[in-house]
Amino acid sequence: MNGLKRQWRPSAVGLAAVLILSSAAVAQNLPLTERIQQCGGCHGEDGNSQIEKVPSLAGQPEFFTINQLVLMREGVRRIEAMMPFVNDLKDEDILALAKHFASLPPKRSEEAVDPALVNRGAEIAEARRCASCHLPSLAGQEQMPRLAKQRIDYMIYALKSYLTDSRTGADTAMTAAILGASDADIAALAHYAASR
Amino acid sequence: MTHRFSAGRTTLLAGAVGSLILASSAVFAQQPPGLSPLDKSNPKASKQDGNLKPHATPSLATPAEKIPIDKLKLPAGFKAEIWSHGHPGGRTMVMGPKGTVFMGSRIIGRVYAITDKNGKREVKIIAQGLTQPNGLAIGKDGALYVLAINRVLRYDNIEDKLDNPGDPVELTKEFNLPPEIHHNWKYADFGPDGKLYIQVGANCNICEINPGVHGQIRRYNADGSGMEIVARGVRNTVGFDWHPVTKELWFTDNGRDWAGDAGPEDELNRVAKGQEGANYGFPYCHANGIPDPDVKRPSPCAGVVMPAALTGPHSAGMGIKFYTGEMFPKAYQNVAFIARRGSWNKADKYGYDVVLARTSDGKAKIEPFLTGLLDQKKNEFYGRPTYLLQMKDGSMLVSDEQNGAIYRISYSGKK
Ligand code: HEC
Ligand code: HEC
Repeated sequence: MNGLKRQWRPSAVGLAAVLILSSAAVAQNLPLTERIQQCGGCHGEDGNSQIEKVPSLAGQPEFFTINQLVLMREGVRRIEAMMPFVNDLKDEDILALAKHFASLPPKRSEEAVDPALVNRGAEIAEARRCASCHLPSLAGQEQMPRLAKQRIDYMIYALKSYLTDSRTGADTAMTAAILGASDADIAALAHYAASR
Repeated sequence: MTHRFSAGRTTLLAGAVGSLILASSAVFAQQPPGLSPLDKSNPKASKQDGNLKPHATPSLATPAEKIPIDKLKLPAGFKAEIWSHGHPGGRTMVMGPKGTVFMGSRIIGRVYAITDKNGKREVKIIAQGLTQPNGLAIGKDGALYVLAINRVLRYDNIEDKLDNPGDPVELTKEFNLPPEIHHNWKYADFGPDGKLYIQVGANCNICEINPGVHGQIRRYNADGSGMEIVARGVRNTVGFDWHPVTKELWFTDNGRDWAGDAGPEDELNRVAKGQEGANYGFPYCHANGIPDPDVKRPSPCAGVVMPAALTGPHSAGMGIKFYTGEMFPKAYQNVAFIARRGSWNKADKYGYDVVLARTSDGKAKIEPFLTGLLDQKKNEFYGRPTYLLQMKDGSMLVSDEQNGAIYRISYSGKK
């Protein structure tokens, strides 16, 4: 259940990418298209993830993706699965990747959205003012990620990580926003956000 | 220029696993029954724009040609220049005995070392991957103390090995600081008494904190022993300094959010001699005696030390330095410079400047000093001054976190 042992089942492309990387040491100056393919192995070819607990990147604000990739490269946000893919990223790569993913249209995953949870989530989101940062559409802005159409299982996992201070490099604004939420609240918020 | 910080990375990961297992039970562990860190604010009542949000801090540095040096305005005779750049997120500044300027940061997790080589600045990263290492202090023998939210580290003889700092001495256990993240990026400095002063912020915007743990300034012996509480009821101070003559502690304190665009205003406070441990009001009493609208109790301001000065609504007063150099005119001697990072919880932006505090008899008068980073008409800002450092020649450095730059303020006018 921790960040290291989480299961993700890389698709064929992802697996290939992982293998290539581990043999050819860490990529040197990979062209952007190849990088994007690597990312797609886990995050979905069109930036919409089909893998449990792997976030979609399509439609994320550029600033957010830049920020997170820099933090991962720094070892501040530590995601073991991603380390080989971010270690050698140059600033230019990061800027280009962020721009690419921002331009892709977000699509909802195949997870079932529970309407009762959506309603309850909307109330909690209102009370906790999620929209003040993530925008009323939950499309995100600047350092605040898009939540609309994001994977439900990933958001539940992410919100719990804030709650338990286990997302390294987390923005304290978000830690404060979720403080005291119950598991049921978190599930409702995730269903609501995904439905937007 | 990158030096990877490897010390304790494995222990950190192990720590993350451990905290997950403890999970939610640990979250409120510091909170006695009846006290909750949940935010009690009510933006509907405060009639503020509900869509105000914290401004983003870029994690990549602003290119040199885009640094807003031409915007800076100063009193006649003063001049600003770019002293260094290329250190994104750099905030706090301290100087080692051999002249190295060290810089702490928040989210980006780095500690920078900036050296002067033939009039050119060289920027190195001496530590990275830390959780908000904002607290820096230079101890006896030039050791660098780095305080992250969850760790206290000491780098001995650091200036002799900037290229290869090696593993620091871990003092985390000795200091035993509370683990809560909110408002707990540290500010720290050694006082004239040789003790290490450390802030422990309120772990919320507005809530009933545990006064035994949060909302304090503490002091410790350099080895982490002998903790004493110097000030209580302090919401979030991220800067303090001692008056050069009276040796009294002065600190900035950031007021709560979501109680109106007009405040309660931020504060400049003094700990008068013999008043160590006094109460500065949070969460019940703010600014010049304003009762909190959301966390109430009878006589909220009874026994609360009132601020020496108000420093503006949501202005985010950060670093404070009393000027003791020879370069600036006499009128600046022992005057405090305060960097105000600028507001977010306010429709019309405010701050983004450096002000002066002229102190006397425990009170202070605030005056503008460095302006120009806020365009009031457009309601836009170009930079965020965070901390100050007086150089040996009497010039003053100002860090701009937004642009990853340091400005040097010098004086060449009449004296
Ligand atoms: C081996 C699978 C894998 C590959 C390949 C991969 N990622 Fe990830 N990525 C993840 C996982 C898993 C997470 C979320 C982990 C967590 O939060 O603990 C993640 C998170 C992210 C995030 C943070 C998103 C958010 O919403 O918080 C970004 C941005 C990101 N990845 C970008 C990339 C880019 C760009 C690439 C290609 C250079 C890439 N990833 C390649 C698995 C992968
Ligand atoms: C004060 C601003 C603020 C508020 C209010 C806020 N958030 Fe966030 N949120 C952020 C920021 C900033 C991040 C990115 C955090 C980081 O870098 O760790 C974030 C990240 C997240 C993430 C992680 C998404 C990802 O892709 O990794 C989720 C999920 C989330 N927020 C949900 C919520 C919900 C639900 C609410 C309301 C209960 C909420 N947020 C309220 C600022 C805020």
